[in-house]
Amino acid sequence: MSSSLSLTDVLARGDVWRGDALAAPALGSIASGYPALDAELPGGGWPRGGLTELLGGPGGAGELSLLLPALAALAGTGGRIALVAPPWQVHAPAWAAAGIAPERLLLVHPGRAPGQVAWCLEQLLASGSFAAVLGWAEAPGQRLAPAQIRRLQVAVEKRSVFAVLWRSTVELAQASAAPLRLHCEPLPQAAGRGRRLRLRILKRRGAAASHAIDLELSRPGKVAHAVAGSRISAIAAAGAGLALVA
Amino acid sequence: MVERGRVRVADAQAAAAGVLPGQRLATALALAPGLQALAGDPGCEAAALQQLACWAGQFSPDVSLAPPQTILLEIGGCLRLFGGLAALLTAAVEQLQAQGWCVAGGVAPTPLAARWLAAAAAGQPDGPPLRTATAEALDDVLAVLPLSLVAAVSQWSPAVGARLAACGCRVLGDLLAWSEAELHLRIGGAPVADLQRARGLRPDPLPPFAFPEHFAQRLELPGRVELAEGLLCAAQRLLAALAGWLQVRQLQLLAASLSLEHEHSATSCTQIALRFGEPSCDPERWLRLLREHLARQPLPASVLALRLEAEQVVAISGSSAGLWGEQAAGEGAAACIERLRARLGAAAVSSLAACADHRPECASQPRSPLLSAPPSPQQPPTGASQGAAPDQDQAATRPLWLYPQPQALAERQGVPCWRGPLRLQGPAERIESGWWDSGEGEGDVRRDYFVACNPAGQWLWIFRTADGWFLHGLFA
Repeated sequence: MSSSLSLTDVLARGDVWRGDALAAPALGSIASGYPALDAELPGGGWPRGGLTELLGGPGGAGELSLLLPALAALAGTGGRIALVAPPWQVHAPAWAAAGIAPERLLLVHPGRAPGQVAWCLEQLLASGSFAAVLGWAEAPGQRLAPAQIRRLQVAVEKRSVFAVLWRSTVELAQASAAPLRLHCEPLPQAAGRGRRLRLRILKRRGAAASHAIDLELSRPGKVAHAVAGSRISAIAAAGAGLALVA
Repeated sequence: MVERGRVRVADAQAAAAGVLPGQRLATALALAPGLQALAGDPGCEAAALQQLACWAGQFSPDVSLAPPQTILLEIGGCLRLFGGLAALLTAAVEQLQAQGWCVAGGVAPTPLAARWLAAAAAGQPDGPPLRTATAEALDDVLAVLPLSLVAAVSQWSPAVGARLAACGCRVLGDLLAWSEAELHLRIGGAPVADLQRARGLRPDPLPPFAFPEHFAQRLELPGRVELAEGLLCAAQRLLAALAGWLQVRQLQLLAASLSLEHEHSATSCTQIALRFGEPSCDPERWLRLLREHLARQPLPASVLALRLEAEQVVAISGSSAGLWGEQAAGEGAAACIERLRARLGAAAVSSLAACADHRPECASQPRSPLLSAPPSPQQPPTGASQGAAPDQDQAATRPLWLYPQPQALAERQGVPCWRGPLRLQGPAERIESGWWDSGEGEGDVRRDYFVACNPAGQWLWIFRTADGWFLHGLFA
């Protein structure tokens, strides 16, 4: 068996990669809408079929805007997006303005019982019928154990799902089965500039990331005129807005 | 193995000592004094054959039993599904050997010919486990079979065997050379009919095996087992039978229970519940789960028998693939949402609808996630088409998250503070609406909204009323 496989065949698999290059996710990826970030992510975008962990980032730092272009692209092609244990109420007009029809969202409130968040996430990931599943497990009572993360990773493997988990920075040093882990923190606001987010890639399939990525996000209240129009132009506008500010 | 005082099967070592099937036990013991005689248990054999028939359900729905040790499968209709005869046979033999069975089989256009070939393969343990005869070469393959073997399988009377031996016939080919009338005269009607059935000249309907309505099978272990690995090996047979049964019944497994029956305690047994997150029909997956359970399960005594029962099964939900490669949506999501609602309550799982109201707390309304299909992606998702947001430009300045209740903010030197002093990022936006339900509902609202930023880099949506500053949303 092994003799009939060539090296290129082996390297084409998603879980094998050269030490000095980035792996290519087996199920493809979704462009994040931020070229500087895409260049650092294996496969050139957010991975499908693997957990993505975002650590840190107090609410309001733009950690959700980071995903909006990818989520809008998924919702625009008919995918449904599930939000498990969202920390605040979803404000439908803002999501609609970002290109995500509120009807495509599924809000799941698992309650405070231990293990419920993990169970809901596992059900949603394993069903495979959601384009994206976002889970919040930051609150002290809702944190997930490494074994639970492993279960979720097994559930999402081979499913074409964009799975994102927000976790607390307390779990920064803890090992995790998620193939992509990012730490995000807001940068202090400078005069006349928009929202800025510093991303550090803690773990990825491929060569270790050497430097942090500073992203300029759209500035609330300022991009209104650029975003008018269809979803596709919304993504383009986000990119254009980025170029302008940078 | 001994049955009714006579040897039925002898292993290679005993056969080398001269022990033959059909000998009396006393004779066999005289030939090989160290002989270990095991009593056959017809009940156990019948149960094992039932389990095998269930297992065979994954290859063909058309299974029939030929006790004591043969099952017949009609595979002509299933060849394409499994990718050809060779692939099907390899899969079947591999699975049987993995369960610990010795396999001897025959493949032929007629069931009786297949039984004869299987018996011939069983008679030569060193040879290949399977013998195959195609329709064209059937007579040639049958011709070399010894008549004694054929007579034993088809249970011809001893007189027929004696008469054939007297004629000097040893192989089936000798009979095929004769005409039918001649044969009829010499060996009688029943053997001739068998010959015709085997050659496909006469129909041979077989009673089909009836797959049980409810799967509950018991497996007696060959000895006392204390190790988890040994239990797993035995459980593998039961799980394989369950997989075949599910396939025939077009079901998937949600929950099963495995009972371990212990020595010395006829009444008590250890129960292991296998529960799955989603319906499955993959015995490998069940085995992995069972391994985890057995590794943690303390056993009070050694185990004598296993009993597997399918407790919860669901019909396989068919899914239609998209013609143009579009995403399959709908069914799977609905099933998942139903499961979530069953556990969390209907209110905990919802979708959203944008509502044409200027007051932020009224702009999103919960909506049943199962109500109707989401609108087609070709429609512009926002603004004018749904009348949702008052104005697209305004909607873009709205935060993604809202606090359920506006949070009062501290004020220092005239500046609102939230984790540091806030800096306002633009002109105010007045929202003044709701006079029609003042005093009830969300009430009459008169607020000046601002986008604000704190020193840590968090962007907030705050408003000011006559009562002071309030935090209402987060630009996440």
